Amino acid sequence: MSLAPASGIVGTSEKRGRPIGLLLVAAPVLLIGWMVIYPIIDAVVTTVWLPDESGKYGLTLRTYRFFFSDQYSLDNLYLTLWTTVVCSILLLAICLPIALYLRFASGRLATYVQGLAIFPLFVPSIVLSYALIRVLGPNGMVDMLLNAVHLPKLRSPYLTPWAPVIGLVWDHIPLVVLILTAGLGGVSNQSVEAARDVGAGRLAVFRFIILPRLTNPILVALSFSVLGIFSAFTIPYVLGPAAPEMMGPFMQRTFRDLYDPVNAITQAVISFFFCIVFGLFYVRSVIRNRQA
Amino acid sequence: MAQLEITDVSKVFPGGTVAVDRFSLKVADGELVCLLGPSGSGKSTLLRMVGGFERPSSGVIAIDGEDVTRVPPERRPTGMVFQSHALWSHMNVFRNLAFGLKLRRLPKDEIRRRVEAVLELVGLAGYGARQTNQLSGGQQQRVALARSLVLEPKILLLDEPFASLDQHLRERLREEVRDIQQRLKITTLFVTHGQDEALALADRIVVMRDGRTEQVGSPDMVYREPATPFVAGFIGTMNLVEGRVAGGRFERGGFGVPVPVADGPVTIAVRPEALGIAPSDGAASHVHRVTDYGTHAIVDIELADGTRVKAMVREARDWRAGQGVALKPEAFAAYRDDAVVHRG
Repeated sequence: MSLAPASGIVGTSEKRGRPIGLLLVAAPVLLIGWMVIYPIIDAVVTTVWLPDESGKYGLTLRTYRFFFSDQYSLDNLYLTLWTTVVCSILLLAICLPIALYLRFASGRLATYVQGLAIFPLFVPSIVLSYALIRVLGPNGMVDMLLNAVHLPKLRSPYLTPWAPVIGLVWDHIPLVVLILTAGLGGVSNQSVEAARDVGAGRLAVFRFIILPRLTNPILVALSFSVLGIFSAFTIPYVLGPAAPEMMGPFMQRTFRDLYDPVNAITQAVISFFFCIVFGLFYVRSVIRNRQA
Repeated sequence: MAQLEITDVSKVFPGGTVAVDRFSLKVADGELVCLLGPSGSGKSTLLRMVGGFERPSSGVIAIDGEDVTRVPPERRPTGMVFQSHALWSHMNVFRNLAFGLKLRRLPKDEIRRRVEAVLELVGLAGYGARQTNQLSGGQQQRVALARSLVLEPKILLLDEPFASLDQHLRERLREEVRDIQQRLKITTLFVTHGQDEALALADRIVVMRDGRTEQVGSPDMVYREPATPFVAGFIGTMNLVEGRVAGGRFERGGFGVPVPVADGPVTIAVRPEALGIAPSDGAASHVHRVTDYGTHAIVDIELADGTRVKAMVREARDWRAGQGVALKPEAFAAYRDDAVVHRG
């Protein structure tokens, strides 16, 4: 009697499992192809394969030339970039201390803080937008409170670029806090204690022990939030200024109010390429994590 | 070179759990003291209080006469080696060791010299450029030890440093640690729940139970003259036979010894190597099982009432299951109310 080599047995079971694995991933892959990849290709083709004055179709970049030569379009792009950068800085400034607190604190207060930090996750953007109008808008809660103590009204951020910033930051706090807290979970108590043992104060522990281990989670959190902020619609649409406006409302208005689908798609493609740049940071982080 | 003095230190955690209860200890200059006890006995909490990672609820911790009870860990003259090594994986070996020296703003040349010297000391010369995840468990523990030693602490604290290593490596490393400790003459507090580790390493052993000191003494004394039945049962293998003394004699299931104390309950403790046995056909006790360990054998003996005791013998082949045996303890202790009342 002869026995098959172990590697042969493993190889056989691997081969047997391969079609099942491929079948399992086939449906989502096909769905992504249909719902994501095809629309992307279709959008790019739609914006570069256009009829000329004689009605003959050909390759052209005129819609892109128009976008990058039109001051209003550029203002909208700059506002979107500005909002994204300001939101990212604020998110990091707000969420990092919260995540650090949640990682190293214990007890009832930490549980409440965690609950509060995650709460925005369960509030739809439209509800948040109107809630912020009721709080920060003209004659909102802040104005009423100031009036009650005979103080002058403050200039409301409503319909200024700062209103979407406030709303988007509030909206993205849970995501950033969750990712950073998960990242901090990889920093063991003993590695922090070992640093303190060799003479590191709290700041040195943060700078030399925690922060280097948090680079990837920060990149991932910021990549996700930047993608969400750059393509945000509801909050900037309800709270933001009419002009300039962020790319989300700009696309919607170009498409629906100006009946100009080609330029709306061009704006979408340009937004998409900016998001791809941010998305590359995420992909890079994932690859670095896998390599580590 | 330093003295450590712990006076009436207690630690009560929120919720009322008493981890350490009015513990006092003096560790002399260059001495290696092992805190030995089962899980939950408070030994790690005590070590963390000495390191500054836990604040005592009461009591005083002094190093060289200076009260450090409320001094944070980063300002204490102590160095701690953690059970999980706690190396910083984003730094290579050299940077792990140099980190504390850099914080002290030492010149680069001095840092290099000291790191290389300590790597040599722990047998890792030339390993500075290695990443910590490229090291074996034993090498990682050596780096952790070197990281503490490079700062030349007055007190070295070791929190079960070999717990995650295999038996062979553990034995080798503990000998190395003992050599280094004796060479540097550094005052050391070592926490372990391994009695063999404590017996092999320590100048003195502190046996802890429920946050209190059960016995303090040299390894030999703790082994040979355990102060309480708990210590007797915890250190090494010990036969503990409970029964009563009547008329100056303890008797149970055919096992009898003279105990000249007042009548009442006692616990007799006798080590397997101190329990002499002889074949006896008519004896009430018989051999239950013989286990051969190569260098010696352990004979499990069942007394007349079913109680089991162990005796150590040289040759396994001299004994067989079911054989009648007469017991003759060569050295034993009798305990009553957690204290020794007689040694025989």
